[in-house]
Amino acid sequence: MDALEMATGTFGAVEERGKRLLQRVESEERAQQRIEQRNTTLGRLAFGAAMLLAWELASGRLLDQFFVSKPSHIAAALWAMLIKEALLYHLRYTVTEALVGYAIGAGAGLVLGFALARSNFVYRIVEPFIVAFYGIPRIALAPLFILWFGIGITSKIAVAAVMVFFIVFINTIAGIRSAPVQFLQVARVMGASEWDLVRKVIFPAATPFIIAALQITVPQAMIGAIVGEFISSNRGVGHLISRAAGFLDTPGLFAGIFALLVVVLLMNQGITTLGNHLMRWNPKHGTVRDVP
Amino acid sequence: MDRGAAIEIRDVFKVFVARGDRHQRRAFLALRDVSLTIPSGRFVSFVGPSGCGKSTLLNMMAGLVRPTDGEVQYKGLSVDGINTDVGYITQDDNLLPWRTLQENVEVALEFRGVPADQRRERAARYIAMVGLSGFEHHYPHELSGGMRKRTALIRTLIYEPSVVLMDEPFGPLDAQTRVILQDELLRLWEGSGKTIVFVTHDLVEAIALSDEIALFSRAPGTIKRVYQVPLGRPRDVFHIHADPGFPEFYDRLWRDLKEEIVDVVLEAT
Repeated sequence: MDALEMATGTFGAVEERGKRLLQRVESEERAQQRIEQRNTTLGRLAFGAAMLLAWELASGRLLDQFFVSKPSHIAAALWAMLIKEALLYHLRYTVTEALVGYAIGAGAGLVLGFALARSNFVYRIVEPFIVAFYGIPRIALAPLFILWFGIGITSKIAVAAVMVFFIVFINTIAGIRSAPVQFLQVARVMGASEWDLVRKVIFPAATPFIIAALQITVPQAMIGAIVGEFISSNRGVGHLISRAAGFLDTPGLFAGIFALLVVVLLMNQGITTLGNHLMRWNPKHGTVRDVP
Repeated sequence: MDRGAAIEIRDVFKVFVARGDRHQRRAFLALRDVSLTIPSGRFVSFVGPSGCGKSTLLNMMAGLVRPTDGEVQYKGLSVDGINTDVGYITQDDNLLPWRTLQENVEVALEFRGVPADQRRERAARYIAMVGLSGFEHHYPHELSGGMRKRTALIRTLIYEPSVVLMDEPFGPLDAQTRVILQDELLRLWEGSGKTIVFVTHDLVEAIALSDEIALFSRAPGTIKRVYQVPLGRPRDVFHIHADPGFPEFYDRLWRDLKEEIVDVVLEAT
């Protein structure tokens, strides 16, 4: 064996060792990740259980059960609502109001935001008005909408829509105006038409802002629907809650709140999944970890 | 190969207005009586002190900025509106962060209505040319500075503009990557017949790459002198210092540039 072969032989061995190390670190990293995920899940379950347990134990001993109820009673009330009071029927109304309102508010916010942000002149004129409208506590419009649209589903949709609209609208404008001028210049020189610019440069550049708005407005839509129902209605979870309050029925009250919590969580999860898909190009979605 | 003028700049003046303060819009002269002919197929560099209007002149050729007075002609026609005939490469790579490397390379062809299969085929060829095969589906944030710059380069060359405008394209790169990319640029350009207008601060870079160098005076910028680079081709950018014509030419260029910079320093004190 001559020197060159020896050298390449060693080199081969070094390369082999490098590969093995790579595999080892990778499998360790995966194992670590699994453990972290499992611990997080377990931790969450434990935390939730501890809270419920503390509540259960404190209620009637440290706190007046009349005001805070207790988880076991709430669960029973939830079950009773489901069976006797057709919780799902009421839930369907509330979710429809929130979702339709959300879709209308978000859609209008997007379209109008786009239209407005593309014209500097119009934007300069209407900007102070937008800021002024944005300053109105939108929930204060709920009684007005009930006056306009009656106590049916339409008025709740309107309240939910107006809760969502302004946030999406303002974020869309901010997102579009954040598109780097250089992107636009380079794209123009490459031959982009105005429609190309909107579709392939401006809209994607605005997505982080738009997604953020779509996420934070999910509970807003629900607030709109519920407050609308509180003020005046004969169905919906808001109606159930306000009726339970009228009967001084705290377990029923909490049961309604829990039902809403579950729905909002599900809606949030949906929009987060969509956001992650649209934002997969964003650097924040993955980072290189140092190997100690 | 056409040896006429690719770009003709005639008596160009540019006035900018500083809009920072609402009550006091101050106008200042950025370019003063600039005239220059850029022959077709040549590699021409602009060097000069910061803020002398080199980039402004480049942007005029791309139609992004209009002269206040005078005229910029592209292939005999006055530049009026965006000049989509040229390629335009900026200091920042300006890759679209939501598109993969390949999608970024294809974007200009998309704008130009080239069908998808042709786009893919051409992109693959250009990606291979700069050694980026295997990274097609990476997003810009997953690429190194050099890879991003290569991507920016080929996404412009892919639609085969006959004139490529480059505004300090290698500015933000580290020293080694920079020289490697200079070499790749020359390799891509030599024999292509394309005209390149290249703005830089770096005299060595200007000498290593160019046929001609236009030296700008300090603001309000005007062209002080145009030099023919006395080095043959093909060039070895890695050993450009060792070229017999290099030292003397570098000294001359530096002496002339220094006058512009030193004056500024003296005025400031």
